[in-house]
Amino acid sequence: MDAGMIRFLLRRIGQFIITFLAASFLLFAVTEFSPGTVASKILGPYAVSSQVDLLTEKLHLGDPLLVRYLRWLGIVAGVVENPLGDPTIGLGLSDPRGNRYVGNFGYSLMLKEPVVDVVGERIGYTVLLTLLAILVIIPVSLAAGVAAGVNPGRPVDRILSMGAVILTSLPEFVVAVALLLVGVVWLGILPGTSPMTQGGRWPLSLQLVLPVGVLVIASASYVLRIVRASVADTMRKPYVRTALLKGLKRRDIILHHVLRNAMIPPITVILLQINWLLTGVVVVESIFAYPGVGSLLLQAALFGDIYLVQALTLLALIVAVGTQLIGDLCYLALDPKIKLG
Amino acid sequence: MTRPRDHDYLPILKRDLADGKVSRRSFLRTATLLGLSAASAYAFADKVTGVPSEAQAQDAKPKGGTLRISTTVYDVKSPAIASTTAHPLIYSQVVEYLTKTGADNVTRPHLLKSWEPSADLKTWTLHLRDDVKWHSGRSFVADDVVWNLTRLLSDDVGSSVLGLMEGYLLNSVDTGKVDDKGKKIIRHELWDPKAIEKVDDKTVRLNLKAPQLAVPEHLFHYPAVMLYPEEKGVFGPGAVGTGAFTLKELNVSRNAVLEAKPGYWGEGPYLDRIEFVDVGGNEQAIVNALISGQVDGAFQILPDFYPLLKDNAALQYYQVTTADTSVVRMNLKNKPFDDAKVRQAFRLAVDPVKANQITFGQFSTPAEHHHVSPIHPDYAKLPEPVRDVEKAKALLAEAGYKDGVDVELVIQQNPPHHLRNATALTEMWKEAGIRAAIKVVPNPQYWDVWMTAPLGMTVWAHRPLGVMNLALAYRSNAAWNESAFANPEFDKLLDEAEAIPDPKARSARMADIEALMQREGPIVQTYWRNLISFYDKKVVGFAMHPTYMVFCNELAIKS
Repeated sequence: MDAGMIRFLLRRIGQFIITFLAASFLLFAVTEFSPGTVASKILGPYAVSSQVDLLTEKLHLGDPLLVRYLRWLGIVAGVVENPLGDPTIGLGLSDPRGNRYVGNFGYSLMLKEPVVDVVGERIGYTVLLTLLAILVIIPVSLAAGVAAGVNPGRPVDRILSMGAVILTSLPEFVVAVALLLVGVVWLGILPGTSPMTQGGRWPLSLQLVLPVGVLVIASASYVLRIVRASVADTMRKPYVRTALLKGLKRRDIILHHVLRNAMIPPITVILLQINWLLTGVVVVESIFAYPGVGSLLLQAALFGDIYLVQALTLLALIVAVGTQLIGDLCYLALDPKIKLG
Repeated sequence: MTRPRDHDYLPILKRDLADGKVSRRSFLRTATLLGLSAASAYAFADKVTGVPSEAQAQDAKPKGGTLRISTTVYDVKSPAIASTTAHPLIYSQVVEYLTKTGADNVTRPHLLKSWEPSADLKTWTLHLRDDVKWHSGRSFVADDVVWNLTRLLSDDVGSSVLGLMEGYLLNSVDTGKVDDKGKKIIRHELWDPKAIEKVDDKTVRLNLKAPQLAVPEHLFHYPAVMLYPEEKGVFGPGAVGTGAFTLKELNVSRNAVLEAKPGYWGEGPYLDRIEFVDVGGNEQAIVNALISGQVDGAFQILPDFYPLLKDNAALQYYQVTTADTSVVRMNLKNKPFDDAKVRQAFRLAVDPVKANQITFGQFSTPAEHHHVSPIHPDYAKLPEPVRDVEKAKALLAEAGYKDGVDVELVIQQNPPHHLRNATALTEMWKEAGIRAAIKVVPNPQYWDVWMTAPLGMTVWAHRPLGVMNLALAYRSNAAWNESAFANPEFDKLLDEAEAIPDPKARSARMADIEALMQREGPIVQTYWRNLISFYDKKVVGFAMHPTYMVFCNELAIKS
């Protein structure tokens, strides 16, 4: 790795830390104006005020915002013990790693489990869903996009482009309901939800069909349109015309010259799709009861589960920064003219 | 051991049932409350009324199988601070209550063999069953009850049982300290050191500071399960209980797996295994799971989905009429609600029958603005409230609001029928000059302001007796008195009602209370909702419970 690359990576890590600190503080501040206190969320609406006050006192929740934020950062850094895990408070919260370790994001107020465990379990399912969706999205959208892009204005282009426009316009929940109606209610060949639990009459593989199907329809049609536009644009470039005039085979021109040059915009879009699939698939996960981080983020936000929202925000930041980094490296590989600036 | 003496009122009650002066339901409720065993009460009622009880008519149930029920799978580490009716679905199969209110709304002894109230209802002697053992093999004894009840009533634990029982078991103590915001720090302590008294290994006595009829019902409040003291109040997989099942696995927000425990002291269990499956908060997902057979039943189904499921040949429909409701409550600390005339105008301006129809249609019954349901044994029938817009306007003018009033009605985002009810009410109010803006807030935000908002809509769960809701919500300074209603006449009438075991005499007193609520009370209440669910037809023994409880030891699966 050359010095330029190391500087580039260090700069990216520095930007990430600053973004994380700013985002986490903003979230803390915003939560200050959100309904309910940490103590009242733990005890529920029917606890009397003396009980809520006592827990507030025990957890030092009356401290100023900055003090609480710094304490939270200390807990994440493993410098400060998490008071929620103190057995004398009697909430029954326990973390097998103890109350002080690096990466301690505290306890989810909603689920009463260590945040690290909650996110750890959910991220596995999200990665699985993302991988399966991407494995279908990339070949389908590339093949169809190239087919449409190299035949601009022809019937194949019109059919594929029109189909893609229609599917892109359909909201995910409409596609989901349509697939449910066909697969579950009419044909009865697929399960109506995907909780990814075994033991029922539906194997895990069939539980994945509908959520993956909706994601593929929602995403592939969009990527297809970008690929089609980029390929069609590249096909009009002078060097392609020159190659044609020089007598190169159309197939070779597409494979060796057009595709490589046409891939930069689609890669950006595909990476954005990965970003969305890993952290933002809220509708599909909710409709199909899929246990991923998207539905978890929605539940956590609605509940006001500050510690879980913080951890999921960090996760989203890591994924966003990570995909951007991968994108930059891909651009470098595809076009040597691009420099690390 | 000598048999406990029957309560003085029991012979009169039996005679009243024979003479047709009290209903079978009222008889069963009051007789069991007064300490008659459920079996004896049912046998007597069957003999007198000639109607056999369902329990006797049931066939032998098949054994084996796994039952899957869709519900929210919450963390249940600390049942004492459970805050929803979905929490006990899991833990109550393992750890049990001293009493049990059935789907028929009658409360019976459960871990108790019987209870015995004094004539003044201030001393309750609880007799424990002799045959109950913890899963560890140790007998269930009075020390376990004393430990659990004392713990539930402690400020440190944070249980809602405290708010329920503080009126008759606790004193509020001003510590003399103030918090950061200058608010007095109040703590609670048992009103008497012998308030919860161990008499012997199998007997506990509750010595109350005020008469209370609903002690057995309160012992079935959903956090009030008997935990194994050696586990210090922490529940989880492998936790020791007295129930028919043991918790094998708990994945919060995903699923919980329970397995039958051989040698259960009561009925069943017939099932080998129960799995509670969480399909998220999306109501449609619950319906999808039912349709595709991923679950055999659901915690509840919203009435909106009834048309989708009613013709499904594999599913059985269940419904129960309940005292579950939402009330629009006016907070008397805020103008214009400090004036009784304004409050009455708010009631007179609405038609409860129409509002009920708009809110729930066939899945509810109209209410009468007094928070006592026709299914409560202490309900008194009053003339139905009639909408009178002119009188409402006149009352507002008398109160000094001749141009009407502008108010804001705060409601929760969920359940969705709150918005339907609020819309119906605000449209009706308009004609009387009551201009109400609806403010929909996320649920947690509502619970922040439910005690203080000038006008809000609050859910009140089903409770088996009318006096229970009134005592919790409207007695001066009650823990959950969200309207700041403080009426000495109401308090006096309620005190008297709570001390009357006779349902006839109590309902006469309730008539006074209900009339007072309609005249001066702090609520506009237009519906009582039914709870509905669907279960696979292969499930045997299920009955929809008015508080969503499912007694899995009584359930079986037909092959």
